[in-house]
Amino acid sequence: MPDWKNEIRKRLEALGIEPAREIGMIEELSQHLEQHYEDLLSGGADEKAATEAVLGELANSDLLASGLTSTGLAPKQDPEPQAALPSGNPVRDFMRDLRHGLRTLRKTPGFSVFAVLTLALGIGASTTVFTIVNTLLLHPLPVEDPGGLVAIYTISSAKNAGKSGGLLPSSYLNLKDYRSRNQVFSELSGYTPPLVMTLKRSAGPQRIFGQLVTQNYFETLGLRAAKGRFFFPSENSTPGSAPVAVLSFASWQGKFGGAPDIVGRALEINGASFTVIGIAPKGFIGVSDVFGPDVWLPSTMAAQVLPAELHNALSDRGKPLFHAVARLKPGVSGSTAQANLRTIAATLQQAYPRDNESRTVSVQPITSELFSSTGGENGIAFGSAGLLAIVGFVLLIACSNVANLLLARITARKQEISVRLAIGASRGRVVRQLLAESVLLGLLGGVAGFAIGYEGCQLLWSLRPPDVVDNLVAPRLDMTVFIFAFLVSIATAFVFGVIPAIRASKTDVIEGLREETRIAGLGTKSVMFGNALLVGQVALSLVALVVAALFLRSIQRAYQIDPGFDTRHLAVFMMNPEQAGYNESRTKAFYRDVEERVSTLPGIAQASWASNMPFWSNPSRGFAIEGREQQRKSQALMSVVNTVDLGYFKVMNVPVLKGRDFADTDRQESRPVAIVNDYLARKYWPGGGALGSRIRLSGDAQPRLVIGVVKTTNYTTLGEAPQACVYLPLRQNFASGMTLYVRSAADPTSILNEVQREVRSVGPQLEISDIRTGDKIINQVLFIQKIGVGLLGVFGLLALALASVGLYGIMAYSVHRRQREIGVRMAMGAEQGAVLSLILRRGMKLVGTGIAIGLVASLLIARVLARMLYGLSPADPISLAGASVVLILVAFVACYIPARMASRLDPMAALREG
Amino acid sequence: MEAESPDREWKKGSAELLILSLLEQQPRHGYDICKLITARSGGALTFHVTTLYPLLSRLEARGLVQGRWVEKADQRRRRYYSLTPSGRKVLASQRKSWQDFVLAIGRVMGTENA
Repeated sequence: MPDWKNEIRKRLEALGIEPAREIGMIEELSQHLEQHYEDLLSGGADEKAATEAVLGELANSDLLASGLTSTGLAPKQDPEPQAALPSGNPVRDFMRDLRHGLRTLRKTPGFSVFAVLTLALGIGASTTVFTIVNTLLLHPLPVEDPGGLVAIYTISSAKNAGKSGGLLPSSYLNLKDYRSRNQVFSELSGYTPPLVMTLKRSAGPQRIFGQLVTQNYFETLGLRAAKGRFFFPSENSTPGSAPVAVLSFASWQGKFGGAPDIVGRALEINGASFTVIGIAPKGFIGVSDVFGPDVWLPSTMAAQVLPAELHNALSDRGKPLFHAVARLKPGVSGSTAQANLRTIAATLQQAYPRDNESRTVSVQPITSELFSSTGGENGIAFGSAGLLAIVGFVLLIACSNVANLLLARITARKQEISVRLAIGASRGRVVRQLLAESVLLGLLGGVAGFAIGYEGCQLLWSLRPPDVVDNLVAPRLDMTVFIFAFLVSIATAFVFGVIPAIRASKTDVIEGLREETRIAGLGTKSVMFGNALLVGQVALSLVALVVAALFLRSIQRAYQIDPGFDTRHLAVFMMNPEQAGYNESRTKAFYRDVEERVSTLPGIAQASWASNMPFWSNPSRGFAIEGREQQRKSQALMSVVNTVDLGYFKVMNVPVLKGRDFADTDRQESRPVAIVNDYLARKYWPGGGALGSRIRLSGDAQPRLVIGVVKTTNYTTLGEAPQACVYLPLRQNFASGMTLYVRSAADPTSILNEVQREVRSVGPQLEISDIRTGDKIINQVLFIQKIGVGLLGVFGLLALALASVGLYGIMAYSVHRRQREIGVRMAMGAEQGAVLSLILRRGMKLVGTGIAIGLVASLLIARVLARMLYGLSPADPISLAGASVVLILVAFVACYIPARMASRLDPMAALREG
Repeated sequence: MEAESPDREWKKGSAELLILSLLEQQPRHGYDICKLITARSGGALTFHVTTLYPLLSRLEARGLVQGRWVEKADQRRRRYYSLTPSGRKVLASQRKSWQDFVLAIGRVMGTENA
């Protein structure tokens, strides 16, 4: 027997009849044919004859088409094929399902817009975070074949030194030897960290960051200039002979307005004139994941731009200023390269024992250098994974909201689905068709989400500190992010679409087809599923809220961390007289005059000079303790070194614990002295005895007498592990660039202008490159953490908003579904209050379950996050309780509104409609 | 509608009337209507799927009949058509004019033959 339905469908599909009506017609007409066929068989006809006779009825199918068209059932245009049955071509079926889905969604614009917006928020949040991951973690170095690059560090060769020596830069001369003697690298180049420099402009001096690089730097990285050229080998031959500069793309755009004639222009940097020869490619900010220079200068120009104490950086093996990046020859592994370089390092150690004693090299993946400023690759991967997890939660909440909406929609479409099943569509086919609708929702949500993600990134990046906008990495919203958003959209569609679709396909055909059947709502299983979703949503949003609360509290704690010095009344002014052309004696006079004048200003308690900015120091200089060189020859001692003027410890409110402060008598011609911090003193003189001992810093000809011990403070970041620090008196250790530290009697912002005026009056040509009050110093240390907390806060609120909307939706729907029951209760005499509390109790019971699960999950997750929290227990009761209370309050409102509606139902109307 | 015999035009004009009259006593499904027309006309009139259902749809669209899916015990569910009040009125008036017409024709033909 032929498939009569298929015969009819083939003849109707081109007519574009409205789907539900078409399904009905297929059923009606095929029944007719089938009964005719059966009658013919029972009348004695054989199967063949019966089939021919019945098909004969359809012979004139044009009549059917024209007949239906004339009744207006089939529109004349729109030849869209419509059917629930498979055509045998999966692509065609899928496209047909999509078109059908689009029409279905268009019929319920309210639902569609809400679902798309909900998904867009979830996908948008994920896209924003993924863009950060993409920028920092996946594409941190936009150069040719980054996998072939390695970083080379100087390290302590001592076996027992562990990691305490850290990864250090190398001296220029050592690098030169590594480069000329190695057999493992095709290129090896060096670069300094971004150094503060002064660019002279018509509007006044401007602070920029410059990096000295060896001539082959760009070649090593395999970069091509966006404009102009990079350095020629000849520009690396004679010191001081190549006053040329390469600008970063962002700086060219930001500081020079993208001037087309930039190449060839002269720039005055630190008092020396440089000609711009090229622009680095867009997005390249050097070998760093977040912060890069404005300008690259040839290393041979060191004497022209570096501070006086580093003028000999190219000729002194004891001045480790250069980081090294090298490209491995094909087929050479990192360990082979390291073995080769260690041989060279051993030779250098023998040849130059004073500077290279107990020093060797370490070859590391380039990523270790890239992420060195952001807590290492693991740190940044951990942070990114945490953020991704939280946005994943937000997305899951959005998905469960949409899944719930879809479940409710199934009720309304029960009949349509039943008809599809009745005329022979398989359950799989129905699932596919409903999934096509979900995919459409997901894709639309994805498009809107991508836009939200883009805006989110722009907003995030607009929060950059304004003075370094050209130096920070730019968000990388590329194909990878687009593919991510696309895949997330599709995956999302399956997550929220599969269960409702499977539920729908299990519709009872007979039940669904009965026109008389009142729509009774979802089955028990669907209700349970909806409740499970609700509990899950509450749990997930509690986790998101708890994490946000923990980090918020943690950063509050961070502000309370005592860095060891007083930041409340502190202001610092960074300047470099040498860059304004001052010689040493003029600079010394400048320091003295400024200090004198500023100290006498009203409202100022103290002023002094120091070479280091707060939180900008690293243990970068080696030292030896006199008399212990022999025993401790193999141990590298590293320390933060800070050159300070008289009164510095008073300005910083750092107590001198033993011995004395620097005095006016500690001069160039007197005995060299130093002050060490408490940590260093305890570590190397556990039984006391630091005072009166002598230490020699690397590069120093003479040892220094330790005359005092001061309290240990934070040098690199807030709440750090204690580090050794050696203080040197300015009068014995001249530095050309210093920072003026001022302690004010009241709010330091009130004295900023006064101090600047005094500095200008002493040195009118001088630029103050950076001014910070104590608050700003702390804010900048916590900048990344604050951005992170801000993001977590936004995501936590988003999760709360989505979950409460979902909660409201579920409660409102459940009230609607149970209208009749409520009507009966009220007709039987239940009070409004009783109904209200009944509904509220049911809702809050689910909320309570969700919160219990969420609390357990939060405790587990917070334990993982513990190492990122500043002195805060992962089980911080305030965060846990605070987040729970907020969630309970919001959930209560979301339940209360539908409950109140229920309690105000007119029992008679509810019974009629219910 | 197809015409085999008698004349196609006659059948065309009378198809609506035939369907409406068959629905006068009780609601019927499409196949039932077809069978009754064939049986009662002694095979002289036959309706096919391709003609009957467009016609039913047209009658339904004009509000003369109403189709409704009905499920009866031990039977597959079927779409039954029943006359609407306005269908009854139209039937009454069509039947009257048909009878008048037949009478008139009969008179004319009778006169001729006489």
